[in-house]
Amino acid sequence: MHYRGNISDFGMDTISLAGPLEAKLKAVREAGFTQIMLSARDLVGHPEGLEAAVQAVKTSGLRVTGFQVLRDFEGLSGHLHEYKMDIAKSMLEMCHALDCRVLLICSSTSVHATGDTQALVKDLRKLAMLAIPMNIKIAFEALSWGRVINEFPQAWDIITQADMPNLGLGFDSFHMFATNTSLDELEMLDPHKIFLVQLADFMWTEIKSVEERITTARHFRVFPGEGVHSEALAALVTKLHELGYRGDYSFEVFNDDYQQMPLPTVAQRAWRSAQWLGEDVLRRSVPLPNQIRLKR
Amino acid sequence: MSTHLQTPAADREAIPEAANPLGLDGIEFIEYTTSKPQALGQVLEMMGFRPVARHRSREVLLYRQGAINIIVNAHVSTLPDGAAPHDKPVIAAIALRVRDAAAAYRRALERGAWAVPPRVEVMELNIPAIHGVGKSRIYFVDRYDKFSIYDVDFVPIPTVEQHPPAVAGLHFFGVVQYIGNDRTEDWAEFYRELFGFTDLPDDKRFGVLPKGRILQSPCPAASRFYVQLIEPDASVLDVKDDEALQRIGLGTADVRTTVAELAQRGVEFVQSRGVQTEDRGALTRTWLQSVSFELVQDQRTVERS
Repeated sequence: MHYRGNISDFGMDTISLAGPLEAKLKAVREAGFTQIMLSARDLVGHPEGLEAAVQAVKTSGLRVTGFQVLRDFEGLSGHLHEYKMDIAKSMLEMCHALDCRVLLICSSTSVHATGDTQALVKDLRKLAMLAIPMNIKIAFEALSWGRVINEFPQAWDIITQADMPNLGLGFDSFHMFATNTSLDELEMLDPHKIFLVQLADFMWTEIKSVEERITTARHFRVFPGEGVHSEALAALVTKLHELGYRGDYSFEVFNDDYQQMPLPTVAQRAWRSAQWLGEDVLRRSVPLPNQIRLKR
Repeated sequence: MSTHLQTPAADREAIPEAANPLGLDGIEFIEYTTSKPQALGQVLEMMGFRPVARHRSREVLLYRQGAINIIVNAHVSTLPDGAAPHDKPVIAAIALRVRDAAAAYRRALERGAWAVPPRVEVMELNIPAIHGVGKSRIYFVDRYDKFSIYDVDFVPIPTVEQHPPAVAGLHFFGVVQYIGNDRTEDWAEFYRELFGFTDLPDDKRFGVLPKGRILQSPCPAASRFYVQLIEPDASVLDVKDDEALQRIGLGTADVRTTVAELAQRGVEFVQSRGVQTEDRGALTRTWLQSVSFELVQDQRTVERS
């Protein structure tokens, strides 16, 4: 039995783990986590189909932190827009089937998309509207290689203009560090409109090109505390906490090596990372007070 | 003045859309689904409704009093995903009167509404619909003036007065929608964006159950109606965020007279410490575990359409 610290708001992401969905769910749960971030691929790639995948998730007892990821959505027109709307609806339906309350969308990299702010705002409003009846929040993330939106202050600006109650920010530490965006920029965020925070570290101090950034993001991330940005991550989490953020932290760790390690080993690394953040960085009291929470 | 040579205004400034973008003009009908249509029919008749017509191809009845149309749908869908009606009646749809149903439907879809795929039998009207709260739907109807949708899809029940007068001038006042925790802003935005509803200030309330957020439809005064959004009580542990249309609000100029008249017909009203009949409003008891009506004091007298 683990020593159980107060880490219920930290979760793993299936992208860090190899193998079938059930094995991932089991490893994450047995490591002591209570939530998991899922990808559409986890569901549609299930050998017994979507419904079986949804059932496996529900049986696991893990809460679904969020569902990812809608890509290259905003700014398209004509048939491309119609096509992406269909993809978006499909993502929302899967997210809803999981009883998951957050859909992650990352800023468009498409050269076919316009950069016109009004068009982006309109598309994001439409997506958020689609999500309202399903009680899903849309977390919009600035991908650091996004064509128009590539830093979180820009994403925040669009979110503010779109002004939808269920449209907020998806925040990924990797992209913030990659673009060297100042921590001070966090000050302007409304913590209630940050719908998801994804954390990852990486092994090198500097990323020289966009190509290297993409490669690093997709293959060489590590859990918080395992790379060279521990201090910055600690500062970030502390800052978010000070601002009043009380939502979930998900480890968005794409790592080719972890893909060929036993699942419990990887989950243990994630667990250590959560312990470090929860106990050492945020210095939480244990046992956790207010375990039974009223909604408001 | 303006001439076609002038620069279009859109080049210079954003001019807000009309306050009533769909030409919304009230509620055409509200539809219940139930597997016990006769039991619900008895309740409706007690409330003053009369069955006036039958659907041509499905087990669907139209009840009416004054300008209020209620559809009772007991049709079992043959499609695999068709939701079979339950014993407990549920409010399954609201039909909104609009200027142009096709245009209203397109506009809603452009703004992120979910389309309901049409399932029409031969020679029936294809009434465009979008998904509302829970499993409910919102229809757009533009034929309510010269002839009505019922002329096409329904057959009048012989010898029955097709336009029975309303008990004490009852008319649609609105619907109450139960929503999940922290969902008020989401649903308010839904009705604002898709239909042009506006929020009523917190100090403006109707009836005896003033909780939650009230949204006002952009209809002309005579056909205006309200949607009331109610979250779970703050002291309730968050068990399940069930969301649904909960009850129909009916307007009447004189609540006490209406209550007396309905009581004679056998309608019982809630008299508890929290809710009781007042000049402002009243609440009927709940029948069949789910059906109740709220009376709201409202000076308008709505003529038969």
